[in-house]
Amino acid sequence: MTAVTGETPTTGSGLLGQPLDIREDPQLLRGEATYVGDIDLPGTAHMAILGSPVAHAKILSIETKAAEQLPGVLKVATAADFTDVMPLPCIWIPGGVESHFPPHPYGLPGARPVLTGDAVRHVGDPIAVVVAETPRQAHAALAAISVEYEPLSVVTRADEALAEGAPQLHEAVPGNLNAYWTCGDKDRTDAAIAEAEVTVELDLVNQRTINSPIEPRGAVGDYNAVTGEYTLYASTQGPHNHRFLLSALVLGIPFNKLRVIAPTVGGSFGTKGYLYPDMPLVLLLSKALGRPVKWVDTRTGLMNSTVQGRDHRQHVTLAGTRDGRITAVRATSYANLGAYPSTIGPGVATALMGRSISGMYDIPAAFCEVYAAFTNTVSLGAQRGSGRAEAAFLMERLVDRYASEIGMDPAAVRRKNLVPKEKFPYDNGLGWTYDSGNYQLNFDKAIALSGYADMAARKAEARTRGKRLGVGLATYVAICGVGPSTRMSQEGMLGGTWESANIRVHPTGEVSVTVGSASTGQSHGTVFAQVAADELGIDPDTVQVFEGDTQKAPYGQGTYGSRSYSMAAPAVALTARKIKAKLVRAGAVFLGVPEDKVVYEGGKVHEEGNEENSKTFAELAMAMWYGWGLPPEIEPALDETTHFDPPDFNYPFGTHVAVVEVDELTGETEVVAYTAVDDAGNIGNPKIVHGQIEGSIVHGLGQALMEIAEYAEDGQLISSDLNHYALPRAADVPFFVLDKTVTPSPHNPLGAKGAGEIATVPPAAAVVNAVVDALSDLGVRHIDMPLTPEKVWRRLRGEAR
Amino acid sequence: MNVNGRSEQFPAQPNELLVERLRDGLGLTGTKVGCDTGQCGSCVVRLDGKSVKSCLILTVSAAGSEVTTIEGVTTPGGELTGLQEALREEHGTQCGFCTPGMVMALGELVDSTAGGEAPTEPEIREWLTGNLCRCTGYHSVVRGVQRACEAARQEV
Ligand code: FES
Ligand code: FES
Repeated sequence: MTAVTGETPTTGSGLLGQPLDIREDPQLLRGEATYVGDIDLPGTAHMAILGSPVAHAKILSIETKAAEQLPGVLKVATAADFTDVMPLPCIWIPGGVESHFPPHPYGLPGARPVLTGDAVRHVGDPIAVVVAETPRQAHAALAAISVEYEPLSVVTRADEALAEGAPQLHEAVPGNLNAYWTCGDKDRTDAAIAEAEVTVELDLVNQRTINSPIEPRGAVGDYNAVTGEYTLYASTQGPHNHRFLLSALVLGIPFNKLRVIAPTVGGSFGTKGYLYPDMPLVLLLSKALGRPVKWVDTRTGLMNSTVQGRDHRQHVTLAGTRDGRITAVRATSYANLGAYPSTIGPGVATALMGRSISGMYDIPAAFCEVYAAFTNTVSLGAQRGSGRAEAAFLMERLVDRYASEIGMDPAAVRRKNLVPKEKFPYDNGLGWTYDSGNYQLNFDKAIALSGYADMAARKAEARTRGKRLGVGLATYVAICGVGPSTRMSQEGMLGGTWESANIRVHPTGEVSVTVGSASTGQSHGTVFAQVAADELGIDPDTVQVFEGDTQKAPYGQGTYGSRSYSMAAPAVALTARKIKAKLVRAGAVFLGVPEDKVVYEGGKVHEEGNEENSKTFAELAMAMWYGWGLPPEIEPALDETTHFDPPDFNYPFGTHVAVVEVDELTGETEVVAYTAVDDAGNIGNPKIVHGQIEGSIVHGLGQALMEIAEYAEDGQLISSDLNHYALPRAADVPFFVLDKTVTPSPHNPLGAKGAGEIATVPPAAAVVNAVVDALSDLGVRHIDMPLTPEKVWRRLRGEAR
Repeated sequence: MNVNGRSEQFPAQPNELLVERLRDGLGLTGTKVGCDTGQCGSCVVRLDGKSVKSCLILTVSAAGSEVTTIEGVTTPGGELTGLQEALREEHGTQCGFCTPGMVMALGELVDSTAGGEAPTEPEIREWLTGNLCRCTGYHSVVRGVQRACEAARQEV
């Protein structure tokens, strides 16, 4: 990132915003980090899971005797072994208190049991587990379990699942409708559309995708018969949250008898925050067998069990004037929740998507309705940019469609409708109130940087090489900083969504920062140390960060929705300020001056106007440890904690420009240039954010060009390994042109907005817009993702879809 | 088999994959397993100097060979190689799961450029197509390799 616009200083010592080296990197580069698959407790037994080979069937019988006889097998278990275990809760009920279905203690009817006993509802639905001496023995024994099925008919699309006569997934959910959810003003929107000078409509498929962290999930359960404590090591992005869900809601064991540890986690992007059957299973089986039980997923297992993302079928409408003013937007969406409601999947498919559809635009009337349905597919969950990417896609496709309908430049239409700077805080009429923004500045910067004005000449030049050049724009607002707990309750989230930090200053002046958050590759150890050191005015190398172990860390929901730097880091900053405040009070004693004459500056306290009379941070730390001479109102030691619950969300935003070349002969699309200008408010460590933005864009390009979880009619997942599910590789992308604007959020003391996944939000729309632009003279108005060469080639040849 | 300069003797298992021997048999867990199909590159090690996917090779077929894993590249907590140092400077790793495989695969490329021509950006990207990374978007990795190759070229 090059230029910086409108940067506002923080209260600290200037460390924030510096690209400090990432302290985690050397260990990772040497291969020395411990992921869950690398954990090797003495006496470990290994678990394998039998997933259903068919998508929908009644289970008539399960025969496990043969498997039990095999070498090394210690236990084979089925649903019958876990009748006293509660199903896995769903804690995000669309609509919350206003839900069309009342909250259920386990989220919703249809919740997933730890093992299914009556019926299977998707390929991979866990039916039985084997624990054996070695992973190979466990896997080999799966083949010896025989299950008798009575096949049922299959449905894999949300709209079809809601149709009359569709196969029924759960007895308790007739019609397969999990939730009907709306936001915005229907009457006003319908009226605006009816009266409009121009309306455009699109039918969109936001295809199902698989997040595919490179590390599959894994879990190790370790029960201690002496203390009655359970320890779960898991590849999780929310160890505290898993502890809460597992202890209180599933296993019925006291909260303080369960310890959850997240070791190094190999990426997540949303998928590792969910509760999966393997987690309670390794704990229960460890207790049953008196040994640690370990399970590590395979890639195919991941494809058939870890939550998948997106998957909306939508009919969307935009209304406007002939001169380019948008007057209304309306969306009807059929969201595919999969076979069971995942931990927070229903919320992703509804609120996160629906409330975001108007994007960066000031639209007088907006309405969104979502039918969230059960089908015979893997459960739906979050996917980098979840909900917000789906929303940006529909809006940005509509704007292009509208621009072409009225014969106006797509950039000019966008520019005209951006929420003006003076209107913040801005109520978007769909439930979000945008905190701050300067959308014009951001948009203009992206347009200028991308060389948008020269595209006509570049198009002509490309034609001489047999290529059709297209340019596509996409803007977005991404809700982040999840979240304000009261606000989240209105969204139907059952759980505290605040974050905590503890700072302990040791007698030697070194500092331990402990947070409830847990990294899945976001370099928390570097940036949280940076925040604490910045506030305290000390050397960041003297600050150590701890997280990921519920026994040691204060509560926090974890890393998701790009919330670490705007939720956990503010908790660190506020805690450091408490330490500073205490040092000022104690400093008055040690310096022998009144409190209002004590200045804390550059890691020291000194007397105002007399820098000679001072004590360094290290001296103060030691003195506070001794506690000699402190008045009774000042406790010894420096150990403070903060629980940070923001007043509202924060709303990063940005503008991306994709330039593609479509090969006339092969239909291949190459992204030849990509410009992104994102605004994540004040940034702690640009090295981290820069890397996340690059990774996010590639992730978004993957959805546009190649990624799809494809289900056959019988419910088999065709793309069930990396031979059949394409992920972007290094050769698929050029270097990007990146820049930023900086609009601090008023909702946290760092002025931070989410950053980690925001750049995944617009690329799919930008690329599809670019390809449609390249093909527009052929009458092409839309192409469904992914834009595979074959699909594009057919359109080049004039085939309809 | 010689692993990281140490001779390892063990009874041959006919169907055992090299990655299983390294991770489960020899406790060298720096090599990662990310897929079942030879697609992700997390398991790349060097076999007689050439980078190979250790999930696609049977242990028996590596008999008598020189195997280098990530553990053989540096000492625990020790100094980074030129490539690792360049990747550190460019922050070419985030979650780190793909990283050992990348370091092993890219190490071959960097070694091969010592004293010669530095590879072009497309060549580096082409070399990297066997390694998947979901975090970084590859840019910082490519920049790191450019930096390392430049350094390697100038050293000789
Ligand atoms: S584990 Fe070997 S290539 Fe993926
Ligand atoms: S750094 Fe996470 S997969 Fe590459």
